[in-house]
Amino acid sequence: MPSDQVKELSEERTIERINLQLRVQHLALMVSVTLLILTGLALLYQDSVFGRFLIALEGGFETRGIIHRIAAGFLIATVLYHFLYILFSRVGHEEFMQLLPRVQDFKDYGATLLYDLGLRAERPQLDRYSYREKFQYWSFGLFVVIMIVSGFILWFHDWFFGLLPKWAFDVAIAVHSGTGTLILILLTLWHLYLVHLSPGRFPIDWSFWDGKISLKHLQQEHPLEYKRLKEKGLL
Amino acid sequence: MRKIIALWVASVVLLSWLGYGQRDPNARCLLECHANPNLKREVAPGQFKSLYVDYDQFKASVHKDKLCIECHTDVTVIPHQRRPDQIHCLQCHYRGNVVGAPVSERPERYKESVHGKAVERGDPNAPDCKHCHTVHAVRAHTDPRSPVYRANIPKTCGSCHIEIYTEYLESVHGQALQKGVLEAAVCSDCHQEHDLFPPDDPRSSLHPQSVANTCARCHADVKIMERRGVPIKQVEAFKKSFHGIAIEFGVLKSANCISCHEYHKILSSRDPRSPIHPLNLAQTCGQCHPNASSNVARGRFHIIPSDPDAGIVFWVYEFYRWLIIVMTSFFILYIALDLYGRWRHAGRSSHG
Repeated sequence: MPSDQVKELSEERTIERINLQLRVQHLALMVSVTLLILTGLALLYQDSVFGRFLIALEGGFETRGIIHRIAAGFLIATVLYHFLYILFSRVGHEEFMQLLPRVQDFKDYGATLLYDLGLRAERPQLDRYSYREKFQYWSFGLFVVIMIVSGFILWFHDWFFGLLPKWAFDVAIAVHSGTGTLILILLTLWHLYLVHLSPGRFPIDWSFWDGKISLKHLQQEHPLEYKRLKEKGLL
Repeated sequence: MRKIIALWVASVVLLSWLGYGQRDPNARCLLECHANPNLKREVAPGQFKSLYVDYDQFKASVHKDKLCIECHTDVTVIPHQRRPDQIHCLQCHYRGNVVGAPVSERPERYKESVHGKAVERGDPNAPDCKHCHTVHAVRAHTDPRSPVYRANIPKTCGSCHIEIYTEYLESVHGQALQKGVLEAAVCSDCHQEHDLFPPDDPRSSLHPQSVANTCARCHADVKIMERRGVPIKQVEAFKKSFHGIAIEFGVLKSANCISCHEYHKILSSRDPRSPIHPLNLAQTCGQCHPNASSNVARGRFHIIPSDPDAGIVFWVYEFYRWLIIVMTSFFILYIALDLYGRWRHAGRSSHG
């Protein structure tokens, strides 16, 4: 019985699944994006008590803007570093290749839904990066690029005035606030649920800090990766 | 005897008819001196000040039932022995007065105003009450003959502020007023009448943080704007814009209404002289944004993203609105399904 096997596996987090490079990049994202969301929401909801509270917390209206731009610079640096990492580091490149979407991801997603509904007996066999991680990575990546482009237009509007028509700035504002809201939803309802808030992980999964995962967890969540590592004798 | 009685009756009738009882108590002031158009006083060598009172005008004024001495309280004997002190309207027109003098717009705040302060400094050109309200011919502001009647206000203020008056007459407001549109903005609608402060005073109706609200008194009034065919959402849209938000949070260098629309000479965007005419926008925006080119004229101004009038911005806004709804529903559904799946399989495995 496979369920007996699972019980035998250790629940202690011993295997380093996420390397230091990725952990540092993730931490940089975490800090910069959190700051950006808090300072962004403050402006988006400036006409409510919530927004005014955030603005007061962030040291006033103009300081809020300065924090937002500093955090934006930090995010842009992180993104650039990430590009260098996946382009020029062998490990980074391999990680990136594993994150490319495949047809199998859509099948796995469908299979998961069927499994949850009880219409399928077998749990789909997910790899190191499944539809969950890929959806997160690619949608967040796309959103961040949109945020950087629209944010740049707004940040350097004085310069862009010579280049873009007036409506482009209005569109940039709508896009920036809309995409910002999407990022907030993606991070709370998808990312935070999957990594921290779901049963078995609540209230916090420390693997974002040390990159470690337990054998049991690895076998449950990433069976194909588990199998591959076991065959290579790395466990 | 009958003759004596007849004479007595006749004299009583005659005296009554002469109106002894109805005789105007102000008559003595007038008969003795002030009805004489030539009555004057030498205020400086060769300079005379008329002391004549046009009593017909006075009897048509709001104070027609008042006695001369009710205002000139220091006149106790007639003719008065010394020059009466200058009177002040605030003798009666203060909040809580018992004689029933109307107090509509806090005249006591006049003393704090630019004009009041100038008078206090001793500026000989600074206006006192009488410069706007006249001295003895004070009429209600609803009386078309009053200098403070809406249609007459620009001319009254213009008697000192001549250049501004000519600019105003060219503006959309001045033009409308000259066509008889009484609801067109006059000086006091923006500047207030008595509490008139300089724009850098936070109490001023034209302080950068108050300008939008001042314009909104008319430009957010659906009835007035519909009658005149002027768009209604401009002020609301401004307040939601970057400029409006920045102003509200104290970034006073941010643009407010008058930064782009001018103030006394406000012109339609169709007027080629207007700073908001499409051809002049680059220069107008360029006051603050040096790189502004003719690009700034390509797009709509004063837009509210959730309003279809916003054009492409509305569609982008709608797209995001729906995307947010769809994504949120998708995630919530996924979480619900995930929890349901876990519950199902947890129940199964504990049975097995």
